[in-house]
Amino acid sequence: MIRYIAMVLLAGLALSQTTPKSMVAAYDAIADTILATKKAEHNIVAALLDGHFHGAQAYHSSGQFDKAAAEMALFGNEGDNAIGGIRKKLLEGGHHHHSDAEAKGTYEPGFVIITRETKQNVLKTVAAYRLAKSAGDREKAWKQFSELAHAALSP
Amino acid sequence: METILRIGPCSIVSLSLALMLGCREPKIAAPQLRFVEVGTESGLVHPTWCGRDDKPHLLESGGSGLALLDYDGDGDMDLYLVNGWRLDGSEVIEKGANRLYRNRGDGRFEDVTHEAGVGDEGWGCGVAVGDADGDGDPDLFVTNFGMDVLYLNLGNGRFQRAENAPGIDGWSTGAVFFDSDGDGDQDLFIAAYVDCSLDDVLQAERSLKWKGDKVMVGPFGLEGKANRFFENQGGGQFVEATEQTGLSDVGLFYSFAVIALDLDHDLDLDLYVANDSNPNYLYINDGQGHFEETGLWSGAALDRNGMAQAGMGLASGDVNHDGLTDLFVTNFENDHSTLYRNLGSGTFADISVEAGVWEPSYMPLSWGTVFADFNLDGHLDLFIANGHIYPQADHAPESGSGYDQFNQLLQGELNGFIDRSSTAGPGLAVRLSSRGVVSGDLDSDGDLDLIISNVDAAPTYLRNDSMRAGHWLMIDAPGAIRVELSALNWSRSIDLTRGSSYVSVSDPRCHVGLGTIDRLTSVKAIWSHGQVVVREDIKADQLIRMVPEQ
Repeated sequence: MIRYIAMVLLAGLALSQTTPKSMVAAYDAIADTILATKKAEHNIVAALLDGHFHGAQAYHSSGQFDKAAAEMALFGNEGDNAIGGIRKKLLEGGHHHHSDAEAKGTYEPGFVIITRETKQNVLKTVAAYRLAKSAGDREKAWKQFSELAHAALSP
Repeated sequence: METILRIGPCSIVSLSLALMLGCREPKIAAPQLRFVEVGTESGLVHPTWCGRDDKPHLLESGGSGLALLDYDGDGDMDLYLVNGWRLDGSEVIEKGANRLYRNRGDGRFEDVTHEAGVGDEGWGCGVAVGDADGDGDPDLFVTNFGMDVLYLNLGNGRFQRAENAPGIDGWSTGAVFFDSDGDGDQDLFIAAYVDCSLDDVLQAERSLKWKGDKVMVGPFGLEGKANRFFENQGGGQFVEATEQTGLSDVGLFYSFAVIALDLDHDLDLDLYVANDSNPNYLYINDGQGHFEETGLWSGAALDRNGMAQAGMGLASGDVNHDGLTDLFVTNFENDHSTLYRNLGSGTFADISVEAGVWEPSYMPLSWGTVFADFNLDGHLDLFIANGHIYPQADHAPESGSGYDQFNQLLQGELNGFIDRSSTAGPGLAVRLSSRGVVSGDLDSDGDLDLIISNVDAAPTYLRNDSMRAGHWLMIDAPGAIRVELSALNWSRSIDLTRGSSYVSVSDPRCHVGLGTIDRLTSVKAIWSHGQVVVREDIKADQLIRMVPEQ
């Protein structure tokens, strides 16, 4: 069947020397869908990170520091292991959100928003937050995390 | 001139001569760790197989595990050795049978596989030991590539293969029996690796380019297989409860070793799973048998740089004597194995560099591992079994690693570990492609010996001939969750671990090196359902048994 369609297409090309408009339109629509899907992927990860940030903020404000640290760490890891599983599935299917930047080491494979550098900085901040010996130290770590989170989520 | 005190008559002569000749006061080195390989003379001569010589499929990389258990109730540790298949091209030329070796009491073994009826010929991967049917004796669960097998111990030296047993039909790896909900029976968690078929294995070709050669593919690009949990309804009747209990394998990660212990000190058993090339799982128990997966935020899923590693084997122990159990996870070559310090409340920090395990663990490809106080100085030492997965590593000597690799022994001291592998006797000069390792007092002399499984070779049995730096105590407290020991100005709290190493099970009794302490004011054993047994004024250098009153 595929061979038949290709033959018809090639026959059309041979006659007109141009790709039929219907084929161009179809491929163009698919391209829009691919790009929209990639944008949607970015948006859902941003929403997920936003959820972790606000979760951390709520726990921090209410003095539930262990839970705040957990949310902060999940922010740095761009989601929990369930999200990691989806990332793994996408990678196995050949989808890399930032293939060039991954090759340069900027992003871990499959990560969409959190860069390798941001992840390391967030995790260091989480450790400082968790091990803070005073309220002042904890506030300092929280401020650092807030800055990192805002920078990561800024458009 | 400095003279190092070593065990043996020659050392004593040297020391005497040094003193007579008026040399400086001899420096007394740390108690010497020494192991001697005695596998052949002890009767452990049968090889375990894992596929073809050139290993074209990932299944052929994993080798198999082993377990120590007292199956016949005679007080010494017997050995169960899991076996795989031997292939030639796409032909199966030998379905290696698992073997049960009975300990004759002195560390020598006799093969009782046939009489006991436990010679499963599935492609064996790992093993768990637990009292599945609640009759008081240890049963065997074998993870296979294919359907898993549960052997119920009949109590008369024979086992019966259970019907309708829990298990995974596919490539399962580690497994552990543990009482997840405090109801007194042993539930079962089974880890799984990659979803593939026997045809995939038999038809596999090496196609991944690696250091100028072609090697097996994976695990990247292969679909993971889900871990599963089975709740014991009593009497050995199991029902799957993976989703209900929160023990889902949400990422379909490639899981290997699994252990159960009380990591957050709330008197229930938590679960830790080493995942290859993915974050490790930490499942925290709420005390009712419901778990929350906290790996990524606990600090125990990734290394200090936030990177997932190739988790293979696991060891657990309180390396810094703070009463909290730390975790050690072995990894692939050109990456360090990771020591996670337990900070309390279910949180961890990677202290591999500070503890001295980063550097010695960087080059080898590591698998099974155990913490044990081999020289009885009161500090946990660390044994690591090594071996590459690609036989083609022998063609790339510039990489510094071959297929067969030396195992390692790191001596524990107050501030961390020191690599003693090169001075720890002929046992550490054995070079094979090792996988599982178990520790236990096999010759009933009070110190811990080691048995290591190797790919396409007989196991290695390392008898502990180390210089003793102190006293010991062995506590047999079946089912206990923690043991607490006290002496004058000294105390230890030890969380007892189910499962260990790489798809293997060590001596279930709690062995403690006491250093100079020769008498304990009290020994307390604690069970998850609140029962406590206390014994007072206990002399060192003995085995004591502690069981709760019915």
